[in-house]
Amino acid sequence: METAQQAESSLNHAGSSDASESNSSNYVAHVKKLLYRPMLVGIKDGRFFIGSFYCMDKQGNIILQDAVEYRSTRRSSPSPMEHRGVGLILIPFSCRTSCHVDCAIEEQLSLLSLQEKKS
Amino acid sequence: MSMAEKIEAERGRAVEVSISPSIPSGEGTVWADVSSLLRLACNDLRDDELINGENFNLFAAMSALEIMDPKMDSGIVSTYYSIDEAIENGAAPVPLSFDRTLDVQRIIDIMDHLLSCEATWHKGGSLAQTVFSSIYLMRPERTSSHALLHSYCRVIRATCNAVVSAVSDARTNEEEDLFTMTYGLPLKSEGDDKCLSMLHAVEETISRQLRACKAPTSKKRVLEDIEPLQNNFDLEEGFCKALLCRLRFRKHFYHVLTCMRRPQGKGLELAKKHIISCLAELDSILQSGEFLRSNNAHGTLEEGIEDKTTASGCQPIGFDSTLNSRSATPTPPRAIKLFSWKKAVDYFQKLLHDLEILCSYSLDPVFENVLRFVVDFQKFQPDMVARALVQLLLVQDGRLYGRDPMFAVICKAALLPDEAKNNDIQKSITVPQLEQLAINLLRVLCTNTSWQRRKLGKILQDWRIIYVQLELAFRKEHGDISRPSVDENLCMKICKHILIWVEEKTYWIASRFLTLGFELDLYSPSEYCMAYWYMYVILMKLAEKTHIKMMMSNETSRRKTKKKRDFVKDMGKDHQIPPAVLLFQCYIYVVEGLMLMLAALRNEHKVFLCLGPFNSEHGRFIQHFELLQKACLPDHVSYFSFRETTTHARFSTLSVYNCFKDAQRIAKELRDSFANDPDRIAELRRIEQVAEHNGIALNLICRLGTLDPSLKVSFEFTHHPYLAVAVVKRS
Repeated sequence: METAQQAESSLNHAGSSDASESNSSNYVAHVKKLLYRPMLVGIKDGRFFIGSFYCMDKQGNIILQDAVEYRSTRRSSPSPMEHRGVGLILIPFSCRTSCHVDCAIEEQLSLLSLQEKKS
Repeated sequence: MSMAEKIEAERGRAVEVSISPSIPSGEGTVWADVSSLLRLACNDLRDDELINGENFNLFAAMSALEIMDPKMDSGIVSTYYSIDEAIENGAAPVPLSFDRTLDVQRIIDIMDHLLSCEATWHKGGSLAQTVFSSIYLMRPERTSSHALLHSYCRVIRATCNAVVSAVSDARTNEEEDLFTMTYGLPLKSEGDDKCLSMLHAVEETISRQLRACKAPTSKKRVLEDIEPLQNNFDLEEGFCKALLCRLRFRKHFYHVLTCMRRPQGKGLELAKKHIISCLAELDSILQSGEFLRSNNAHGTLEEGIEDKTTASGCQPIGFDSTLNSRSATPTPPRAIKLFSWKKAVDYFQKLLHDLEILCSYSLDPVFENVLRFVVDFQKFQPDMVARALVQLLLVQDGRLYGRDPMFAVICKAALLPDEAKNNDIQKSITVPQLEQLAINLLRVLCTNTSWQRRKLGKILQDWRIIYVQLELAFRKEHGDISRPSVDENLCMKICKHILIWVEEKTYWIASRFLTLGFELDLYSPSEYCMAYWYMYVILMKLAEKTHIKMMMSNETSRRKTKKKRDFVKDMGKDHQIPPAVLLFQCYIYVVEGLMLMLAALRNEHKVFLCLGPFNSEHGRFIQHFELLQKACLPDHVSYFSFRETTTHARFSTLSVYNCFKDAQRIAKELRDSFANDPDRIAELRRIEQVAEHNGIALNLICRLGTLDPSLKVSFEFTHHPYLAVAVVKRS
């Protein structure tokens, strides 16, 4: 996708959620596997937040832990970015414009196929 | 592709561009888009279900800052992404307009708005969101081509810097730590130290322009080389005057701050002169309002000037409080309501009046008088800046006013003869601790009253401990027989005097602690009885210790003058109770009367009882007076002593023994003793009024109370800050 990096995945992620809840969907199980991974969320006013994925509810509101806020210094991109730590934050679904997770390329492909199955 | 899709795609690309260079993913990993996966998962979630890990804590999650909530998110991008972007978009042009009349008009608006910002900052706003919401202030180099704007920005920065350093040096801002936060703000720009000479030059130019436009036409020719301030001749005088008073106010205010910081109060005289000038300029600033409003083309009269931050009523140019809100802290931004221009002027008038009181202070070397001065000063409810300056005046380099060594001050306060202050006893390790306690006491008295009360309660224990330590140390010292006997005598005396003084001060602190409870409105009417009971107990002790201290010093002075006729005279004097003690007696009668009246109302009329589902009366007693109890003030006094004193109070006995009458009598007698002290006379008058009103109320309740159950009694603080007055009404 954006930057095709060929290096081996160093991310050895063991699924933190056991599949004990048999009735929960495949998608929910997958999202559970993303918990505590670095997540990059873009919001309406142009800022980005990176933090560890902590929680999501039915409405799609996301809580990030130890988040860092990034914002550009100019409206016209590209421009240098400023950043600062903001800690524990809640990003309401209504202002979220993008959402990415840090993962190995193989995993990215499997995530893509998962999403394509539905659509 | 539909238009919407196109926009979506465009946005996606923009995001990619800005992410990849600045926000790298982990090593060997990529940012994978999971938006649709999240959407699908959300569809499958039950309503109350969350996706979360094992250590998830809903309570902790509640403290998350909500992004895009204006009350929580300090980073919301409003108009501009950065100051530089704002400047590029012409948000803060230099000059403000190429039309010179408009330029002057807009600069005056900036000056006025900055005054509103400054007042708001003094009253608790953050510097970043108030004064430094000005883009001009944030970029000092940009204004250099505009002498008027540049000099004004400089003096503002220098003034803020002086205020920040005063407040942080004094540390009176424990509660308001927002005040001194200046991260990332250009508070000290190069050349700001020379702000006064620049300001002076600008002032000179404008006063010449003012003279030129006022000169009769015959003289005009001579003055023709002077370029006018702006283009409209009819407005020249008004604008010159409006600018001059604003510039001069800044100059004098800066002088006030620097003069007041001079060591040993040496700048107070000069500071007072500048204060008077400041107040005069503020009056002129107020007067200029009418002229400026009349020139406001947009006309804001219908909207009212009351909420405006400028005299003209125009919105000032070059301010954006959102640009800086991030630089201060990631914590939620505080909603800031700026003072209006009128309120800002009022604020500065009040501040200057408070500072004027301070500058008129005589630097009294007697510790007790210093305490009284600070307590009286606090009655004006000075703001943080004034309180910081008081403290910096009182305590400098560990000395009183930076002048008197604390041991000498303590000796004088303990009514010891002059030679005591040179005694070796001060080398005892406990004495410096006592000196430190005395300094701390002064510092605490300069803080805001709620903080002060908590602190006073806590330092009581230190004063109790130092008493024991001093006693031990003195005993040890005294056991040393190698000293010559004369010195030994003096030593003994110093020990005795200082010990009694320490006790007296401890009870003074306790009484201040109790009275502040009333001033801060911490007691409910059902708790007044116990509060007055405690005041009664403490004041009795305070009066006793003060009396002993004074008798001890009389004894000393009498022994010194060994002439017989003086001796006889003094004998007579000794039997008289000193006025200071009588004044305490006066308070004691009033609080005793109030306590007994409240107790009788509780016992006989079943009102003002401590009922309620949450706390027992004992519980409330502990809540209010735990710190006094911990310090054993006085010894062997507890909730049960309070119950014991008050359970038997009845109106039938109160009417015979009327404390209020005694209080009134003593207050009248004391008038002569304090004839030279107008503050004390005023206080006596207040006590008399309280006693008189309460005496009448008491009689009324005694006579009618049992006959008329519709009688309602309430307590109000209409005559005195902590001595209540009973009001009897028929419901």
